[in-house]
Amino acid sequence: MKVVFRSKFYTLYQSDKEKCHYLDMDQKTIKLSFCQFLALRTKVRNIAIEDHFDSDLNKHGFEILMLCNKEHLFILNTLELLDLKSLVECSFMTIDIDQIASRTI
Amino acid sequence: MKDIARLNMSIKVTSLDALNDQIQMEGKASSSYLAMASWCDQNSYSGSAALFYRQASEEREHMMKIFKFINDCGGNAISPEISNINHDFSSLEEIFETALEQEIAVTKSINKIISLAKKTEDYAVENFLQWFVKEQLEEEKSMRDILDLFEVMGREGIAIKLIDERIK
Ligand SMILES: [Fe+2]
Ligand SMILES: [Fe+2]
Repeated sequence: MKVVFRSKFYTLYQSDKEKCHYLDMDQKTIKLSFCQFLALRTKVRNIAIEDHFDSDLNKHGFEILMLCNKEHLFILNTLELLDLKSLVECSFMTIDIDQIASRTI
Repeated sequence: MKDIARLNMSIKVTSLDALNDQIQMEGKASSSYLAMASWCDQNSYSGSAALFYRQASEEREHMMKIFKFINDCGGNAISPEISNINHDFSSLEEIFETALEQEIAVTKSINKIISLAKKTEDYAVENFLQWFVKEQLEEEKSMRDILDLFEVMGREGIAIKLIDERIK
């Protein structure tokens, strides 16, 4: 498996053989089909991280993240969420750059 | 490294995002037309109400067309959350002006996705959206034609009622 992107806490791998991704979430590694990875991106994007800096809107600074049709459940704090956000965005940027590269070659 | 995105999805990720935004826009247009239909009904403009009910369902069809396309391509269509629909209008003419502006905004958005698709050589998306280009021309025209009626027939007394009767 190859590393697509490594953030501070998490790593995204790609398995060419299985045509899918693996996300190492530290506590456990989860397998993601491409559609599940897209769904994860949507979920992560929809997290209102600004609310974490307002104690009225998000009292405890945690977020519950359910992935792969509720197969996995994670409770993440603000720093972990920010890290996951950057992992997801950077991974998609890598995918995008690869696609552009494959076009020009 | 294999292009897993491409193996799973026939359109580009950038197109997917733009098309999901378009789903949102068509959904909002549908709700917005429904609000206009309601206003027209309440103010006894039955011709215009009928037109906006029809427009509302057409916009929903547009939304569904894109929704199906995304999923058929192996993507991930997202059901839109719609809020902030305006229900307040001061005249029938204002409604049609708003409708035209809304259609122009949709046309611009479609054009933007097409130019993005061209840039990324996502020709399936460009081809898919051609139908929308034609549809937008027609929709803009029908709104403009109605706004012309206000110019021709005026806005005084019975004129508005007569305009509404001409709208189907
Ligand atoms: Fe539309
Ligand atoms: Fe329209």
